[in-house]
Amino acid sequence: MWLRSYSTSLYLFLYAPIALIMVFAFNAGRSGLSFQCCSVQWFGRAFGNPFIMEALGNSALIALCSALLSTLFGTLAVFGLQRVGGRVRRFFDALTYCAIIVPGIVIGIATLIAFITLFDLLNPLLQAIDPALPRLRMGFGTVVAAHSLFTMALVMVIVRTRVEALDKALLEASADLYAPPLSTFFRVILPQIAPAILAGFLLAFTFSFDDFIIAFFVAGSETTLPIYIFSSIRRGITPEINALSTVIIAASLALLVASRYLQNRQPGA
Amino acid sequence: MDKKTFIKTLRSWQNGSITRRDFLGRTGLGLAAAVMAANMPGLLTSRAFAAEKGSMGDRVNLATWPNYHSPDNFAAFAEATGAKVQMNVFGSNEEMLAKLQAGGSGWDLFVPTNYTISTYVELGLIEPLDLARIPNFDPKAFEQRFMAQGTVDGKVYAVPKNWGTTGIVYDSSALKTPVDSWKQFWDLTKTSASGRTIVHDYQLTAIGNALKYFGYSFNSLDPKELADAEKLLIDCKPHLFAINSDIQPSMRSGDAWMAMCWTGDASQLHRDNPDMQFALGREGGELWSDFFAIPKGAEHRDAAYALINYLLDPAHNKLEVEAHGYPSGDKRVDALLPKEMLDDPIMYPAAELLSHLEFGAAATLTSPVRAELMARFKAA
Amino acid sequence: MRGDSPMNTAVNASPAGVAPALGLGRRITWLLLLPSTLWFLLLLLMPLLVILVFSFGERSSVGGYGGGFTLDNYLALGSRAGAFSNTLVLAPLGTLVCLLVAYPLAYFLAVKVRRNRSLLLTLVIVPFWTSFLIRTYAWIFILGGKGIPALLASLGLEGVRLINTPTAVLVGIVYGYLPLMVFPLYVSLEKLDKRLLEASGDLGASRFETFRRVTLPLSAPGMITGVMLVFILLMGEFLIPAILGGGKVFFVGNALVDLFLQSRNWPFGSALAMTLVALMLAIILVYLKLAARFGGASRDGVL
Repeated sequence: MWLRSYSTSLYLFLYAPIALIMVFAFNAGRSGLSFQCCSVQWFGRAFGNPFIMEALGNSALIALCSALLSTLFGTLAVFGLQRVGGRVRRFFDALTYCAIIVPGIVIGIATLIAFITLFDLLNPLLQAIDPALPRLRMGFGTVVAAHSLFTMALVMVIVRTRVEALDKALLEASADLYAPPLSTFFRVILPQIAPAILAGFLLAFTFSFDDFIIAFFVAGSETTLPIYIFSSIRRGITPEINALSTVIIAASLALLVASRYLQNRQPGA
Repeated sequence: MDKKTFIKTLRSWQNGSITRRDFLGRTGLGLAAAVMAANMPGLLTSRAFAAEKGSMGDRVNLATWPNYHSPDNFAAFAEATGAKVQMNVFGSNEEMLAKLQAGGSGWDLFVPTNYTISTYVELGLIEPLDLARIPNFDPKAFEQRFMAQGTVDGKVYAVPKNWGTTGIVYDSSALKTPVDSWKQFWDLTKTSASGRTIVHDYQLTAIGNALKYFGYSFNSLDPKELADAEKLLIDCKPHLFAINSDIQPSMRSGDAWMAMCWTGDASQLHRDNPDMQFALGREGGELWSDFFAIPKGAEHRDAAYALINYLLDPAHNKLEVEAHGYPSGDKRVDALLPKEMLDDPIMYPAAELLSHLEFGAAATLTSPVRAELMARFKAA
Repeated sequence: MRGDSPMNTAVNASPAGVAPALGLGRRITWLLLLPSTLWFLLLLLMPLLVILVFSFGERSSVGGYGGGFTLDNYLALGSRAGAFSNTLVLAPLGTLVCLLVAYPLAYFLAVKVRRNRSLLLTLVIVPFWTSFLIRTYAWIFILGGKGIPALLASLGLEGVRLINTPTAVLVGIVYGYLPLMVFPLYVSLEKLDKRLLEASGDLGASRFETFRRVTLPLSAPGMITGVMLVFILLMGEFLIPAILGGGKVFFVGNALVDLFLQSRNWPFGSALAMTLVALMLAIILVYLKLAARFGGASRDGVL
């Protein structure tokens, strides 16, 4: 019995700050930290604030690109690794774990320094070739690249587990029936590993969307949503951010409810 | 963070501990959210920006300090020109310098303090201003000492925004003894204001005002004097509420009772809560002025010039001063201000108090010794 | 391109003209591995190599990197002892508290709950759809003077200060990383064969005895994974101490950010970063060795 009440209180602990964020979204006052009831103006302001919307758009686009890249590269690598021997595999494993273990803050700083140094070397060269060439600089591309390092490693771990669990008999059966390799891949392998790939994609998207520390260093002049929020915390947060968060939570809860509803309607799914 | 939570769910899916139905339900949910998040902002931003076709672009990226501008002025500027002000706030001049040095800051306009400008010029990070594009800047209206450092080698690189002092703010409802010296500031930190004092997260003022405890120069680079200051800082560290340049939220909430404080923060706090008292240290301290400057390679240069010019219009600058509570240093603006503001001892301290104050020096800011001292203090 | 050099040599070694299909296969392998190899090289090895080189350099007079070769940066690490000791105390402590707090919840979800289990499990994730920053920021209010301390004061307990203390940082850590701990624990507890528990009870073991001798050892893989996940993230933590520690509770991550954004001392920052990475690798290797000996780590347990 105490387990039940303990768990209930943990859920309270998890949701109390979120409830607070939501309540403050209806603040009539200006400050993020003192409450006057009640107004919905901040919802309009948040969605009318071009900088918040731009940061949201940037974050979504960066997350989408890095998730796509890392899912593609990671999955390709998993299949590539099936075809090579022990030493290369162990080397890749080491790199993968390294990418997961090295803290984001170190990745952010190291990438910043390395790229600044690299760009300083490359830019004069590029200018010498053709002055019309754009100059390399920190920004959208560097964030996507840095995010996809970590997420690619995650995808590799996830997809590989699934690939290694594939039923070898099925593959052999397919080959015995003279199915060309590509057809085996699309008809037999892909459907089985698709959930893992999708899962990897979603994981990569969520990580990239919420990452602050890497983007903080390598985003150059781009503003992502977490960078915008960090900056507003220093500037004195306004309920706009609360309103935006409320919408995001409400949307995810609604989707959750909808998906459960759909599941219950289609018992065979 | 979510990535790792998800990975665990995923693993459970792979291990078959969650049913396929669950899996489809959840991933479908996630995918829908992803698609929504990716599409929605695109729709919204294109609508928000399509309307504006200003000749100078749709924005100006400004790097500045917290609580330093009138939002109404920015709104009016956007209305008039089509350029919205994107504001980034910083806690220290080092941080601004670090960001500019790293390149690709994306700023069009920023607000450096007097002692940094020669360094920016030396590093080739800012460009001389074309004064013809800032007709509202009238050099004769400013006191020489508040604009001198904007000029390097005869070229004007920066025009004055406002000036101010660095003093002490305290909550007189919590702290019964009036405070008027840095000696008291640090002594009270260790006694009756223990756990309630905020020190700036800024080596120039944190170390400078610790140096004042001993009566040394605010700009001292003398190893022995710095060692004394370091000892004081480290002794006081357990008694601090925070090391943070943005003091207002904690002072307002009553968590902190006393803080190092720039003029405008004191004006704003005092305006909202008369218990908030401001004092300059009797031993002296810092006098400073901030400037507008344009980084080399600014993308929205036209908008940056337009914004400087807009804000230096005395009528607009008056609104700025009323919002941030720092003196502009511009006689034309002072002429527009209400008398009680001109008599306010926070904004316009008595001349004899000002005479003790020192301007920060370029060498103070860039000194690696002081930077490292500050870092040791914070990591202690 | 060390990653594919064995293959290249293999291709070169094969007699020309033999089995073009084999050559094609190798080429495909090579193409499959090319993007990931490139990414690891460009975004992991090169940056780490650059900061390794920088860590032996000197700060230029205006900040940044000034070249040279010196060990001074590593010798000066002692000046950040406070940040290291904070991290090395609060990261393991935070991990332990997370484990202790999460275990009963995971046990409850995996063993006790019959209905709505997947809903309850999903509810553990939902908070993480809100920005990590915002959720942490909310605690400023809860722990600040007008939050819990005011509540305590009205109950007669005056003068409690929570915000900007190690306690506040610890609360933030537990709050932020709890689900990370719940999930692996849940997965391993969920796989637990309930009949074992019944058998143990039938054989006369007390409930505590059953827990200690059956449940706990069998959930070891989950504990090992959860502890490692949380610990890895905590060692590089920056945001929680920055927001809830008020500049007073300082982690190595905060020291790093300061070195790059305030002192602009890239070489020293690089040395600090290399040390952090080396320290983490060492701790994780020792931990995995110990876990393998005492915890019976399955391959599955280690991410």
